[in-house]
Amino acid sequence: MNFLRGVMGGQSAGPQHTEAETIQKLCDRVASSTLLDDRRNAVRALKSLSKKYRLEVGIQAMEHLIHVLQTDRSDSEIIGYALDTLYNIISNDEEEELEENSTRQSEDLGSQFTEIFIKQQENVTLLLSLLEEFDFHVRWPSVKLLTSLLKQLGPQVQQIILVSPMGVSRLMDLLADSREVIRNDGVLLLQALTRSNGAIQKIVAFENAFERLLDIITEEGSSDGGIVVEDCLILLQNLLKNNNSNQNFFKEGSYIQRMKPWFEVGDENSGWSAQKVTNLHLMLQLVRVLVSPTNPPGATSSCQKAMFQCGLLQQLCTILMATGVPADILTETINTVSEVIRGCQVNQDYFASVNAPSNPPRPAIVVLLMSMVNERQPFVLRCAVLYCFQCFLYKNQKGQGEIVSTLLPSTIDATGSSVSAGQLLCGGLFSTDSLSNWCAAVALAHALQENATQKEQLLRVQLATSIGNPPVSLLQQCTNILAQGSKIQTRVGLLILLCTWLSNCPIAVTHFLHNTANVPFLTGQIAENLGEEEQLVQGLCALLLGISIYFNDNSLETYLKEKLKQLIEKRIGKENFIEKLGFISKHELYSRASQKPQPNFPSPEYMIFDHEFTKLVKELEGVITKAIYKSSEEDKKEEEVKKTLEQHDNIVTHYKNMIREQDLQLEELKHQVSTLKCQNEQLQTAVTQQASQIQQQKDQYNLLKVQRGKDSQPQGLPSDGAQVNGIQPEEMSRLREEIEELKSNQERLQSQLAEKDSLIENLTKSVPVPGESEAGAAAGVAEVEGRLSVLLQETRELQNEIKVLSAERTALKEQLDSSNSTIAILQNEKDKLELEITDSKKEQDDLLVLLADQDQKILSLKKKLKDLGHPIEEEDELESGDQDEEDDENEDGGKDQGLSI
Amino acid sequence: MTYAYLFKYIIIGDTGVGKSCLLLQFTDKRFQPVHDLTIGVEFGARMVNIDGKQIKLQIWDTAGQESFRSITRSYYRGAAGALLVYDITRRETFNHLTSWLEDARQHSSSNMVIMLIGNKSDLESRRDVKREEGEAFAREHGLIFMETSAKTACNVEEAFINTAKEIYRKIQQGLFDVHNEANGIKIGPQQSIATSAGPGACPRNSRDTGSDSGCC
Ligand SMILES: Nc1nc2c(ncn2[C@@H]2O[C@H](COP(=O)(O)OP(=O)(O)O)[C@@H](O)[C@H]2O)c(=O)[nH]1
Ligand SMILES: [Mg+2]
Repeated sequence: MNFLRGVMGGQSAGPQHTEAETIQKLCDRVASSTLLDDRRNAVRALKSLSKKYRLEVGIQAMEHLIHVLQTDRSDSEIIGYALDTLYNIISNDEEEELEENSTRQSEDLGSQFTEIFIKQQENVTLLLSLLEEFDFHVRWPSVKLLTSLLKQLGPQVQQIILVSPMGVSRLMDLLADSREVIRNDGVLLLQALTRSNGAIQKIVAFENAFERLLDIITEEGSSDGGIVVEDCLILLQNLLKNNNSNQNFFKEGSYIQRMKPWFEVGDENSGWSAQKVTNLHLMLQLVRVLVSPTNPPGATSSCQKAMFQCGLLQQLCTILMATGVPADILTETINTVSEVIRGCQVNQDYFASVNAPSNPPRPAIVVLLMSMVNERQPFVLRCAVLYCFQCFLYKNQKGQGEIVSTLLPSTIDATGSSVSAGQLLCGGLFSTDSLSNWCAAVALAHALQENATQKEQLLRVQLATSIGNPPVSLLQQCTNILAQGSKIQTRVGLLILLCTWLSNCPIAVTHFLHNTANVPFLTGQIAENLGEEEQLVQGLCALLLGISIYFNDNSLETYLKEKLKQLIEKRIGKENFIEKLGFISKHELYSRASQKPQPNFPSPEYMIFDHEFTKLVKELEGVITKAIYKSSEEDKKEEEVKKTLEQHDNIVTHYKNMIREQDLQLEELKHQVSTLKCQNEQLQTAVTQQASQIQQQKDQYNLLKVQRGKDSQPQGLPSDGAQVNGIQPEEMSRLREEIEELKSNQERLQSQLAEKDSLIENLTKSVPVPGESEAGAAAGVAEVEGRLSVLLQETRELQNEIKVLSAERTALKEQLDSSNSTIAILQNEKDKLELEITDSKKEQDDLLVLLADQDQKILSLKKKLKDLGHPIEEEDELESGDQDEEDDENEDGGKDQGLSI
Repeated sequence: MTYAYLFKYIIIGDTGVGKSCLLLQFTDKRFQPVHDLTIGVEFGARMVNIDGKQIKLQIWDTAGQESFRSITRSYYRGAAGALLVYDITRRETFNHLTSWLEDARQHSSSNMVIMLIGNKSDLESRRDVKREEGEAFAREHGLIFMETSAKTACNVEEAFINTAKEIYRKIQQGLFDVHNEANGIKIGPQQSIATSAGPGACPRNSRDTGSDSGCC
């Protein structure tokens, strides 16, 4: 706000006083008029002033306009005017007619007003809700205003939309609007919304953006469509670039297949409008986004496969070979094909089989290489061809073999009717055009990349120079040209080729050293004090000499490793040599080339470094420096160390395997321990149950005893007790079995443990003391030892656990034993009791007999008495005596007593 | 590859419960003990077969942290299925289920199928939430329930497939509008409209497409 005030205050020559007053009056009307018509007219008037007096309207009217949006929603017309006015204030789009110097200021204005507007997050939310309004007068200006806000302060506005419920999803609905203007501006809104915000990109993709956009592109005629197609393609690129999740979704959604028809442009030449060129450019870039070398390898390769399977690659190759394609489209198509085939064997094989529709048909590779070594072709096209060739050979041993074979004596076409890739490369290597020299040298280097076989094969190549002279080897010819002191670009190219060729290939080194002119040439170049522009060549010469030392197998007496090092010491000086070597990676163009595989140079002079070569430098700089500083004894030692290292590696692997096995065993033991624990728990509960049963029995027994003591007379049957006891023997035998099992388990565990102990003992003994050996191996062994000690620790823990377990088991056993003896005692007593009971029964029986006898006697006595004429109350007495024999004890005491006499 | 239907899923639940591992186990059949924290949302996909029909599952794995909640909410509306995951060794992840479920119910279509998953069932010794508790919660809230282990792959396949079966069942009952992609369901590119016309037409049609793809 301060800034705005300042601007306003300083602009004394600005708007007339009357204008400011008018605006103020209009604002007052908007704020205070109770009539909708009046407010609407005022807002319309503000709108008409808002372009010319942007600053004034913005400062004075912003809050009133926002208020209108909040309160006058029922009237779409006033909302529309308010939105338009806000748009004019905030947007910089309409300012283009104004003079240059005011543009900057207006940009500041836009972002300042945006900041004020979004300070209240609700204002953005309000705008989002207005977007749901179907009325054209509301929806359209809402879209434009929100787009403008996003363009001004993208990250802040994105964040507000992201946290408002369904914010992003609601914006997606714009793509479904049947009114084209809104749909098209919706695309622009989504472009601004998705810029550099992965989270929003993913939500938009989740809301089926791919499907919708691809549909729109198809409806609009694909590459023949208008600017909408262009906008949709830019949005697709926003969604996919550097967004692995969305790329995966795009591939999994089978949308790659839908790109194929885009490239069916054919030969019919319906003309190439500027829009069509733009569209096709974006389409090609979209393909490249999916297979970019900087994507995760798995992601790129699955997209590459899909592109072959659906025929997209084939379609691209058709464009490659078509006529009448504009040069920049052709260039971008070549770059695209490059990345679609890079490192993907199936696609590379297909590419090798593509033929140009010439007469006779020529391989596409040959046709492309012709352009690469042709001075009249555009520079970017030549770079693209080089990239394509590199991508064709990347991780493609078969392709490398095929290219090198076209140079070998046995396979060169004797009739000379058709030119081969090899011939073109040699032609380029020795042409007078330094760009061709560089491209051909680097291309050839790629045919050798990480391929020892081809490095040796290429040594066989012989060139016929002039008639009468003997043929000269390709290697020789390269060094000859190097020595002739041609252009820097040529020499750099040749040195790149030679360094690649000789690295990791002792035979090539021997061939190189065999030419006695080479070493003096290199030392001369490195030692000399040359100008700045020669520094890179000096560095490359140092690298080549370094390679000749590092990969030297000492097969040439004159150039043994040691002798070469002495030579450096004497002629150049070690420090000086290392410094020159360092020139390469310190070169200003080096880091640029190391970033991306694509050779991408602003102009031909910058064509110096190759991406793969920078990798080689990175790999060799350190080791060569070390090799130069090392003495011969150290060299010998190193050889030995290498051998011992290998041995150590074997030992480490051996131990690793062993540890793996032991890990498995440990795992198993752990499992056993846990089952044992579980069993233990079960046993314990069984014991507790039994203990309580015993207690019950004891109680019962005591009760019985008490009862017996109280009334020494026959009583209830003791069968209940016997039943309770009856369970025990079974359970006991089960318990015993389980204990047996536990015992054997434990024994097994213990023996396993003992075995492991001794194993570990052996292991610890057999690990050699790593002190004297090489650091790497020592670390390996140390690791093994570490793991061993962990293992030991774990074993100890296991042992402890088992100890605890067996203690528990002993306790259990004791408990069982004691309960067993209790049971035995109980049984005894029970037997005794039973005996006693039997006795009592007998007694009772006797008593009963006695009783019966007496009854009989009484009866007969009574009878006698009756007969004698003596009266008695007989009934009662007799009945009671008959009824109660068993229920006696439960009846009242009086009767009992009567019976017990 | 052609498919009869495409279902969109989301995986939700507290951070660290194993959502990303479940997805990886399902799509790649492997377990990664050390796993990057999911930032925002990650995508994965796989084809499954249900009743002889090829069904493509597109799965969005979300970040569990509170700070990503508003992002996660954007995914409910368009999903046909949700896997709501907790960790059986950490009770608090179980306690948070209610809040997750509220979020899901509030922002999703009412037909979204929710599968409750108690993960890390391999860690029995550290179990903190009983299986019965998970079952009870699921019963109470009308969810399907399973215990899984992303480590041993136990029940992982089943969890994703059973969710798909339930969605498929709902489609056949006519509960889903399969033509509205906002529901997280899409009919395959080569499916004729007749396929979706009624359950009766389905089996024969699916067998046809099945043998078609067998030839290719
Ligand atoms: N033991 C075990 N660990 C698991 C399992 N699933 C996940 N983990 C581990 O739990 C941690 C969190 O997993 P992650 O998938 O990143 O959780 P997210 O935050 O929900 O995505 C990781 O260390 C995994 O290794 C499982 O089923 N069993
Ligand atoms: Mg995760």
